[in-house]
Amino acid sequence: MVFFDLGSTLEPTKNKELEESYDVIIIGGGPAGMTAGVYAARGGLKTLIIEKASEGGQIVLTEEVENYPGFLKITGGDLAQRFAKQAEHFGCDITMGEVRNVELCCDNKFVILDSGKKIKTNVIIVATGASHKKLGVPGEKELANRGVSYCAICDGAFFRDKHVSVIGGGNSAIEEAIYLSQMASKVTVIHRRDKLRADKIIQDRAFDNPRIEFKWDTVVKEIKGENKVQSLTVQNVKTGVQEEMSVDGVFIYIGLQPQTVLFENLLRLTSDGFIKVNKDTLETSVPGVFAAGDVIEKEIRQIINAAADGAIASSMAIKKYF
Amino acid sequence: MGLLKKNDQTAVRNRLSEGMKDPVKILLFISKKEEDCHYCNLTKDIIEEVALLSEGKIVTETYVKEENEELAEKYGVEYVPGFVILDKNGEHRNVVFHGAPFGHEFATLLEILLIVSNGFETPIPEELIKKVMEIKEPVKIQAFVTPTCPHCPPAVLTAHFFAMINPNIKSEMVEASEFPELSAKFGVSAVPQVVINNGDGGFVGAYPPDNFYEEIIKVLNK
Repeated sequence: MVFFDLGSTLEPTKNKELEESYDVIIIGGGPAGMTAGVYAARGGLKTLIIEKASEGGQIVLTEEVENYPGFLKITGGDLAQRFAKQAEHFGCDITMGEVRNVELCCDNKFVILDSGKKIKTNVIIVATGASHKKLGVPGEKELANRGVSYCAICDGAFFRDKHVSVIGGGNSAIEEAIYLSQMASKVTVIHRRDKLRADKIIQDRAFDNPRIEFKWDTVVKEIKGENKVQSLTVQNVKTGVQEEMSVDGVFIYIGLQPQTVLFENLLRLTSDGFIKVNKDTLETSVPGVFAAGDVIEKEIRQIINAAADGAIASSMAIKKYF
Repeated sequence: MGLLKKNDQTAVRNRLSEGMKDPVKILLFISKKEEDCHYCNLTKDIIEEVALLSEGKIVTETYVKEENEELAEKYGVEYVPGFVILDKNGEHRNVVFHGAPFGHEFATLLEILLIVSNGFETPIPEELIKKVMEIKEPVKIQAFVTPTCPHCPPAVLTAHFFAMINPNIKSEMVEASEFPELSAKFGVSAVPQVVINNGDGGFVGAYPPDNFYEEIIKVLNK
């Protein structure tokens, strides 16, 4: 498992002094944000992409991507770097930072960063994506980073030869269970139904894996441990029977929640917090503010359609406002 | 030789030849006995391979720590494998690596080599550089990482940049799986975890430079 990642060259544009104003500010540097950047810059717009953690967003947290067209197999990190390089190549400014506030009224909008810097723009594209949904059970917060994790490739190394549980039944849960089985002595997938939602090809790989076992019709009621995860209280949803399960770690992959706290009173959102947009233009309830990627109200959330959203949002912004 | 794939060797060679300005020296400290330090040889091999690809711009010197404790202490190397990168004037600015630089941290190594070679010019914006320079008290930053953690390099890089900017700040990359006792001491089980001043403060996750700076100030204001 020894590998050497070359990383991307730290381009001079990153973290360089920001301008006072841009034509478009894209909040979020994942596939949606980066693609929006490519289209905006190529369309002649002065473009800024703001990313708070790492370029690539969620895809950086996955080892392998097999279903992005054009690539039989590529690591999430590699794909993310390609997106970023392309955006930079066409002239986007990219900066690392967190957005504290936005002022959305009128033709001149403002984005205020945590550092206090206030930047003017005509158009904003919200591509803040989603983060892992929490279970919301006792012990989850208390033991966060002490055996409770939402990222297998980040934290899997701490569970070599240990027993871990993975909560969830979709692609992410099963793919990460397969990843963890390389290190852990045992992986127990705990799912509240009696069948998985994951793609068949992924399911089959998991079923064939001798280190992965399944606990069906089961939910987690509590995560327990002193200073670190030691056990789970689980309950069978069909019989109601509860039992204690000894585990060293719990990896939670039960879905995504949108990162829209900032926009709660500014944009129209669904009851779950996803941004409501016009299906054709991806414009939000505020003129001049568009949204793209996992953060919008949609059925399917994949890299490919996040990227597509980015392209559409920029193209429609150009059409309408420039 | 040959830890890197052929394509990667070419890419590294090009990157170093295009990006390096002045020569640098890597001082590596390893254990006396191989069995005491699983990653010492890996570290020695990879930094020597990178040096070979640098067409003379990078030289490496390896010391057995037990026989060179004073030297290790001078450079702030407390564990093995541990290494520092010196610029042409012999300055390392309190930037220390504890653990083998593989996985995603290999990218960190390349970045730091280039930056040291270019007069420690960091990509931190002017405004933040000014704020960091104003820190008068000693600050020790330990950035715990693992090789497969993709969010980790930014945490290490920011910590190292701060150390380069202000001589009161010491920064260490600590490869968590190689130093389980040290990791357990700070309860590290998720990375990146940044520990400030031996546990007075810290955070988990990749924070942008401004937020990272705020966390340091929180500790100093306690």
